[in-house]
Amino acid sequence: MKKWNRRGLLLATSSVAALVLAGCATAAEEPATTTSAAAGAATECTDLSIGVSPYGMSSFITQGQEGMEAFADANGIKLLWTSAENDIATQASQIDTFLNQGVNAIIIAPVGADSLGPQLQAAADAKIPVIAVNTTLTNDALIMSSVLPDDVAAGAQEMQQMADHLGGKGNIVVLQGPLGSSPELDRTAGINSVLENYPDIKILAIETANWSRVEAANLMANWITSFGGKIDGVVSENDDMAIGAIQAMKEAAISPLLPVVGIDGIEDGLRAIEAGEMIGSSLQHGRVELAAGLAVAQKVACGEMVEKVYVYTMPPINADNVASYIGNVVTETEAFLARLPELIAKNLETGNIANED
Amino acid sequence: MSEKLETKATSIIEGFREKWTTAKIVDLLVRNSLLIVILLVMVYFATQNERFASLGNLRAVLIAAAPFALIALGQTIVILTGGIDLSVGSVVALGAMSAAWLSLRLPPEQLWLAILIAVILGTIAGVINGLVIAYLDVPPFVATLGMLTAASGFAYVIGGGAPINGLPAEFAIIANAKIFGFQLPVYMMLGSFIIMALVMRYSAFGLRVYAVGGNRTAAEVAGVNAKRTLVQVYTLSGFFAGISGVVLASRVGSGPPSLGVGYELLAIAAVVIGGASLMGGRGTVWGTFLGLIIIQTLGNGLDIMIVPAYWQNVINGVVIVSAVAVDVWANRRRTR
Repeated sequence: MKKWNRRGLLLATSSVAALVLAGCATAAEEPATTTSAAAGAATECTDLSIGVSPYGMSSFITQGQEGMEAFADANGIKLLWTSAENDIATQASQIDTFLNQGVNAIIIAPVGADSLGPQLQAAADAKIPVIAVNTTLTNDALIMSSVLPDDVAAGAQEMQQMADHLGGKGNIVVLQGPLGSSPELDRTAGINSVLENYPDIKILAIETANWSRVEAANLMANWITSFGGKIDGVVSENDDMAIGAIQAMKEAAISPLLPVVGIDGIEDGLRAIEAGEMIGSSLQHGRVELAAGLAVAQKVACGEMVEKVYVYTMPPINADNVASYIGNVVTETEAFLARLPELIAKNLETGNIANED
Repeated sequence: MSEKLETKATSIIEGFREKWTTAKIVDLLVRNSLLIVILLVMVYFATQNERFASLGNLRAVLIAAAPFALIALGQTIVILTGGIDLSVGSVVALGAMSAAWLSLRLPPEQLWLAILIAVILGTIAGVINGLVIAYLDVPPFVATLGMLTAASGFAYVIGGGAPINGLPAEFAIIANAKIFGFQLPVYMMLGSFIIMALVMRYSAFGLRVYAVGGNRTAAEVAGVNAKRTLVQVYTLSGFFAGISGVVLASRVGSGPPSLGVGYELLAIAAVVIGGASLMGGRGTVWGTFLGLIIIQTLGNGLDIMIVPAYWQNVINGVVIVSAVAVDVWANRRRTR
């Protein structure tokens, strides 16, 4: 149940909005904590300004920015973009700035899971809702809503893809993300959960290559030396490391290439699937995921009811469906962005956040 | 007759004893301790896994070593002057990103231009380091720390914050073309090491670098243009870092702006393991080569033995400190 209620109350007291947004009636029943000019409410909801502070400008976040901007343009939202450059202090001061500017909502992708406590408290005191996308905080009590990828499911999905390909039997090596990071922990947990069903699949080696192609190429080269022809498949927790592993196999003149599976669905990963060098991946589409976060922020700012967590379940990509995803992610992004605002609205209705049809 | 022969034999043994006294043998062992350690490590790994001593593994070690080797080489020359170049990791990213960016915008037949510009950008970063250090008297640690941040910033600017992927196949040729079974960067590494070893040993430039690092005032009194020498060494370091960036981007077909983070420390580790003094004036290109080989061999061998990354870090840390400790001890022993 949401604790947030000022916007809801304001809208409810504004007769027009109350008719349109019937969903906020429950929120209006909660006691008012602030008094504010009711007249401002309706205009605020049509003229929102929303601050965004992602951990840094990864290619995922860069894609996400495109998606958010497309959604913002279509909905008349003013976006204030920053980047925390992977620094907790920078992110904290960016949120402070947003609070001073009096934005209608703040979207964060936290740098650290245990950071931003004081800023979230200040936001709560100022009645400015905070929404988390992609990553969240350990203590999410003060986060209104979030849109988060299901990394456990992604890990399970890629392991399942590999298990199916190998026919439930064989030796694999696993390339992990930075040890102890939350996507690494979750994806590894997902991989292990599926492996429990396959006693005949053996992990020869499992090690981190820190999401890096170069590190993965060097590590895979060493594993090729170590195990010779014993490796049957490579399970990589992201596409970059999968591509690094493929590079190592090419350098060692392994032919045909061993099956490789990744996660994320980056351009080069999709191309590798198209070329038959990877058997599959799981798409984490920044445009869709972050635009969904903005749509949720808009709902919260307008006092609508939202879920506490929206789960982005990464769709599986394989040789059969890769062509359409290449269109959405790489070659026909303009067309995809044009239909994105409508798609996002539909996805929030159905709850299938990652849907791209 | 037999007595004569006996005397002769005795004299030979005596001569041998004189030439090879225990002290001398110990001295020889100590002086080549690093080489001995490397050989022992290699023998150990070879007994653990028969494929360690294979041609395929040699290829894997050398291609992994090449980009580090180039920056370690530049770092060696800088450290010989008593300086340090913390910016090499970022300059690697700058080189990789600019080469990647240009390779997507230039026609395939002009790819050489992308490579050239990337290397020039790295070199310019080095020139700026050198000018700031030599003529503004900013300490090398601070000047190159500034460049570390600035070059990294530029690398992110070039990609708009994101990696540049999907590089043309022609661009991959730089790192993937093979000659006699080894990839091109391996020859770049070996060639650069041989050339720089000769330059440092026999050229006037080499003499000047050692002179400036040994005692700058004395060198200047003797007529060495120390400022110019400093600019030259940082320029070389930037040049090698630029090439390293191009090689890395070409090998995996991607220019990630985060590339090269921490490479400066790996390069410095290789140099000090190789026996160079951070105070300047003492060290060799050959030493750095050995330092690099031990780091790379350990990484390779420990991966092959499936030692977890955390333990590898512990082992690397111990190796760095003990190598330098042995070196310091050996030097004190020699001067005593």
